Amino acid sequence: MRPALHAEWTKLRTVAGPLWLLLGMIAATVALSAGATSVVTCTSADCGGDVTRLSLTGVQLGQAMVAILAVLVISGEYSSGMIRTTLTAMPHRATAFAAKAITLTGVVAVAGTTAVLGSLLAGRLILHRHGFTAAPGHPALSLSDGPTLRATAGSILYLTLIALLSLGIAAIVRDSATSIGIILGLLYLLPILSQVIGNPHGQRLLQQIGPMSAGLAIQATTNLHSLPLSPWAGLGVTAGWAAATLVAGGLLLRVRDA
Amino acid sequence: MSAPGIVVAGLRKRYGATLALDGMSFTVRPGVVTGFVGPNGAGKSTTMRVILGLDAVDEGTALIEGKPYHSLRHPLSHVGSLLDAAALHPSRSARNHLLWLAHSQGLAARRVDQVIEQVGLTSAARRKAGGYSLGMRQRLGIAAALLGDPPVIMLDEPFNGMDPDGIIWMRGFLRSLAAQGRAVLVSSHLMSEVQDTAAHLVVAGRGKAIADAGVADLIAAASGGRVALRTTAGAHAMRVLAHAGATVAATGRDTITVSGLPADRIVMLLSESAVPFSEVSAHRATLEDVYQELTREAVEFRAATPTEVPR
Repeated sequence: MRPALHAEWTKLRTVAGPLWLLLGMIAATVALSAGATSVVTCTSADCGGDVTRLSLTGVQLGQAMVAILAVLVISGEYSSGMIRTTLTAMPHRATAFAAKAITLTGVVAVAGTTAVLGSLLAGRLILHRHGFTAAPGHPALSLSDGPTLRATAGSILYLTLIALLSLGIAAIVRDSATSIGIILGLLYLLPILSQVIGNPHGQRLLQQIGPMSAGLAIQATTNLHSLPLSPWAGLGVTAGWAAATLVAGGLLLRVRDA
Repeated sequence: MSAPGIVVAGLRKRYGATLALDGMSFTVRPGVVTGFVGPNGAGKSTTMRVILGLDAVDEGTALIEGKPYHSLRHPLSHVGSLLDAAALHPSRSARNHLLWLAHSQGLAARRVDQVIEQVGLTSAARRKAGGYSLGMRQRLGIAAALLGDPPVIMLDEPFNGMDPDGIIWMRGFLRSLAAQGRAVLVSSHLMSEVQDTAAHLVVAGRGKAIADAGVADLIAAASGGRVALRTTAGAHAMRVLAHAGATVAATGRDTITVSGLPADRIVMLLSESAVPFSEVSAHRATLEDVYQELTREAVEFRAATPTEVPR
């Protein structure tokens, strides 16, 4: 396993694409979060709203770049034919696939932590200037606050789960463009679909099974009872998606001709 | 090394309606270059993918020094292979491409620089492989195959895209690998590319090995005791020799190929009948002839449509 991990890490760090995608992800996440927090102001006491969740809005954009990186880790090899070189060097396919998953998790966790903490910091600074001060009852965002800590750590976990879900789908589909299409559809189309559905039961169900709508429940810090799922259960749904696609992708990688 | 390099036995594989491999069997021995020739679609690349465990077969076994590929712990130190020189990330440098491969086998970076020098890519090693010519990519692929210093080397069409200098280099290189005691399997759809390099030939056609023999034996068999005759009185000579029981065929404006009679008897018969001739020599087939003869059926089969061909 160690040589396989070393090989995958060398692959990731010796082309510019992954680094730029991760830097782009951090920039996009922080920028969107900062943008979302800068449009709200508070002039009275009790402005309401979930400011923690608001400061983590950027994750909804950053996840797209995480998904693209994850897809390229395996589909990129299929399009060039390099997957054959990889599997010739590492004929134990489960090990080769696990090595890809682990290195991807590692880099996404590091970049995700930077992006999420950056968003939180930006939110803290911007919200303070926009009247969300301790005086009207809005203490600054802080990781010492239980729900905020959970939302922050959960957002980082969420990004790594999206990476694994994307890796799994790419291993099943093998084509980069198709994989990215499917993943973006799963993430962004399901929430839109749930909005246009008239039936409230169907709406709730879609929100509960969508990997993004369910998973991002982890960012909520207020009005938890109105969520379609509790925060950890929601993240559990995303984890379920990741596990299912990883297992399916891994099995297909083992049985299919390369 | 007593176990033969590669032993392929009874491989059978079907892709949908096409039978890609139909009982492919052969052995690649250490110390010689084995040429793996046959028309496109004869099953050469499929066989190589099966040997490397990339494709599964319906039947049969492929063993490297007695073991299936997937059971090899650091496979690149058992078999070095080059299937597709274009199969790399275009924006990764050649050196980094070899580096990740080395890391996958627990090999040090020092080994990467050694193989880069061995194939003559030192000055280009830090350039992006996407900018390489096909000939340079072939060299890079050879470097990858040598990385683990394996006793078995397997290359699919390594001459593709090489300039004449590269082809000469490749031939010498393959021979030196065999001289070091390695088993070397080299595929090509052009006999001319392997004829000066290979000492043993596996000829593939329609998914099986239709010949598996030494180059000298194949040429002797194809020559078949025929005699080439040069004469200006072709018609007369053919009449005389056919009368004596030989099979004759005009092969040129003043050349005739005779089989069924030894050369000295032909000279005697022609002299007795006062037929003028300028040259009598034992006909020696070329490898190209051998190849044409062996693969004719396979090529015809592929050219024809599945339904009856009108003649």
